[in-house]
Amino acid sequence: MLKYLSFKLIIQLLVNGILFGTMYGIAAIGLSLVFGTMRIIFLSQGTIIIFLAYICYWLFTLFGIDPYLSLVIVIPISLFLGMGFYQGLFREAAALEDKNISLLIAVGLMFLVENLMTVFWTANPRSLQTTYTSLVFRPFDIGIPFNRLIGLFMAVLSTAGVVLFLKKTLIGMAVRAASEDMVSATLMGISPHRVNAVAFAIGIGLAGVAGVGLATIYPFDPFYGFIFALKAMISLAIGGIGSVSGALLGGIILGLLESLASFFISGGWSDAVSYAIFLIVLMFKPEGLFVRSVKKA
Amino acid sequence: MKDKKTIILTGLVIIAFAIVPFFLDVNTSYIGYFLFLSFCYTIIAQGWNLVAGYTGQVSLGQHAFFGLGAYTTAIVWLRDITKTGYYFDPVTMTLSGLVPVILAIIIGIPLLSRLRGDYFALGTLGVGEIIKVAFVKGGAFTGASDGLHLPSTIFESMKPYYWTGLFLALFATAVVYFLIRSRVGLALRAIREDETSAASHGIHILKYKILAFAVGAFLTGLSGSLFAYYLFHINPDAVLKLDWTLYPILMCVMGGSGTVIGPVIGTFFMNALLAITDIYFVQVHPIVAGVLIILVMKFMPRGLVGVIDTIKSRG
Amino acid sequence: MEKHLLEVKGVDVLYGDVQAVWDVSIYVNEGAIVALVGANGAGKTTLLKTISGITRARKGEILFLGKSLTKLRPQEVVGMGISHVPEGRRLFSKLTVLENLRLGAYSPRARSRFTESLERAYGLFPVLKERKGQTAGSLSGGEQQMLAIARALMTLPELLMLDEPSLGLSPLFVRTMFELIFTLNNQKVTILLVEQNIHQALKIAHHAYVLKTGRIAMSGRGNELLANQEVQKAYIGERWSKK
Repeated sequence: MLKYLSFKLIIQLLVNGILFGTMYGIAAIGLSLVFGTMRIIFLSQGTIIIFLAYICYWLFTLFGIDPYLSLVIVIPISLFLGMGFYQGLFREAAALEDKNISLLIAVGLMFLVENLMTVFWTANPRSLQTTYTSLVFRPFDIGIPFNRLIGLFMAVLSTAGVVLFLKKTLIGMAVRAASEDMVSATLMGISPHRVNAVAFAIGIGLAGVAGVGLATIYPFDPFYGFIFALKAMISLAIGGIGSVSGALLGGIILGLLESLASFFISGGWSDAVSYAIFLIVLMFKPEGLFVRSVKKA
Repeated sequence: MKDKKTIILTGLVIIAFAIVPFFLDVNTSYIGYFLFLSFCYTIIAQGWNLVAGYTGQVSLGQHAFFGLGAYTTAIVWLRDITKTGYYFDPVTMTLSGLVPVILAIIIGIPLLSRLRGDYFALGTLGVGEIIKVAFVKGGAFTGASDGLHLPSTIFESMKPYYWTGLFLALFATAVVYFLIRSRVGLALRAIREDETSAASHGIHILKYKILAFAVGAFLTGLSGSLFAYYLFHINPDAVLKLDWTLYPILMCVMGGSGTVIGPVIGTFFMNALLAITDIYFVQVHPIVAGVLIILVMKFMPRGLVGVIDTIKSRG
Repeated sequence: MEKHLLEVKGVDVLYGDVQAVWDVSIYVNEGAIVALVGANGAGKTTLLKTISGITRARKGEILFLGKSLTKLRPQEVVGMGISHVPEGRRLFSKLTVLENLRLGAYSPRARSRFTESLERAYGLFPVLKERKGQTAGSLSGGEQQMLAIARALMTLPELLMLDEPSLGLSPLFVRTMFELIFTLNNQKVTILLVEQNIHQALKIAHHAYVLKTGRIAMSGRGNELLANQEVQKAYIGERWSKK
């Protein structure tokens, strides 16, 4: 195997990993926001991403809407869906001390959605092909697939958008404050329901971006969502809860690790490696690698 | 609390279950299968009940123990390791319960000592997935993704399955019942209420958490073994799917986790609901399960037992 | 007879099965400084939390300007004009000084006056203006306390509730703190003060209540209680050091 090892190959693996890792990253940001404000682990994130990927797919297959343009439809749907999930499912559970209840609701939602999709759309993997999805740029003879590159752009843009929102708007500031100390935030007059709903909406909005990205890059089926959610959580564990850029970075790192692992280790084991990394990070540094401990004021 | 009336009632219920095969042809009737499956789920549910309901550690990796139990039975039988040649071999089944215990201790020590609440749940999820990969990649030993095939020619009648299932379900319930009433049970509940306080009272937290986790794993492994004898074709998809964790959790919670009778009621109730929806549309099964988890968690997190309690205290 | 700004009547507060406050009644008059003193665990913090809505009273009534607070949630209580600076300050350490202040003026009643409130805050605490871009977590203990109070003032409160403002501060800062409380009161801010530093608290308070294991043990004018033999024996003259 060493015969085939070359600098170019490594770069190729790295590029692949980074480009796909951004998908994990934005899914992780969504998870981070929901966890930050409500301390809920939204396990259904991956499955919702798949659902939105299906929407993108059907918009293209049935109506010929270009997947990237479909963002204009998918993102508003996602935002509403996010708010809907909060109001309908998690609103009361978020206030409870026993976080297992919301965890189980998330599990139930995942189960529900992935099987609904199987019933309506079968379990066959789908993938999207447009005239340009197979386009590959070759700078320095390293293949950069067009669709993955766009995926990267979308990820970076949406991350920037979220960061700006959190930094510059009052409600964004409120979300950050509530993530740190909800009780204190209420003492400022901030309504927990409002920040929670916003966090959820953004979380699912990002899922929409990830869904479109995934639809154009990788074949997907209803049950892939669970695995994707686990990967997003691994990314979050690596990158640290509470940091938006950390989450994105965590996703990229995971993408890199997976890309390298799947080349050097055979098929299924690379997944096991990801899960093992997950366990290790969980056990030894649950706050993630990027979050520096801040002195509590 | 267990007065004469309850004991008699329980005895009657057990007898009623036991004599079903004399009135129904368990081989062909759907009810026979339904009851058998319910027994399998009850065992797992009680196992989870012990870990999560009474000790407060929500595990999402029970399917790993189930699968391990099933595979152990398959491997032991195929390779004639125990040399006993029995069909429902108690030795094999006990082994199938013990192997998961080993796993439970190995992963329990790092996970339970370092992870709390949600993080522990995620950790168990991760472990479950790793085990699944391990079995798929196990080569000839585990039969890889095709799995292991047991000689199904032995199958004659559902009756032994039914009674073994009933026995194990009773056994699991009894284990929970007696464990909870012992000093161990007090410790477990103290841990669930307030770990720090329990620790300051001298309770060795890790030891008891692992104990509960291990007993839960043992019971779940037994269920896996039982099911392996029924399934004959043991493959990762069939015995290591998340359903084997989720359905029992749902059943336990629906009945009322943290009670002895809750998982039993919950299992039969839930399974009945699922069976009824099965009649109309087979694939709706998991969807109904998903909807039910959400509804139960939102509106009756204390389960049916909780609802009954509330009605009793109002009445 | 001065008008009661805040009336707490016959309040019981329980945490699960444990009762922390027993049939407590206190009154705060407009423009006054009222002190709640007592040992650790006497229920002072619980009482403040119940007024601001963080915890709920099992029994009794809380009226503010005649309107009932008992069923309100914290974000609504703020809207009524009460600001609570909790024990330990609980600033948003990852946010900047300016952002903390900005969030102080989050509620509708305070939002429109943000700019002038900010100027007032900078006027009272020039150091905050210097450090406005720094994260709250990077400030010193005394600066954090100032930020906490400034942030509370941004909500434009009629009643300011301070829980142990002198906690963890150097003696010099403690003095500054109490001078500040005095100044604020002169600027017509009514203050309900919970303190372990009983001497200073009673010196500055118009009226005070002594809490003991969840019940009112004594009440009276600040200087009267200060001179009281029992109070002196029980609380003052001992070196209190919180952990």
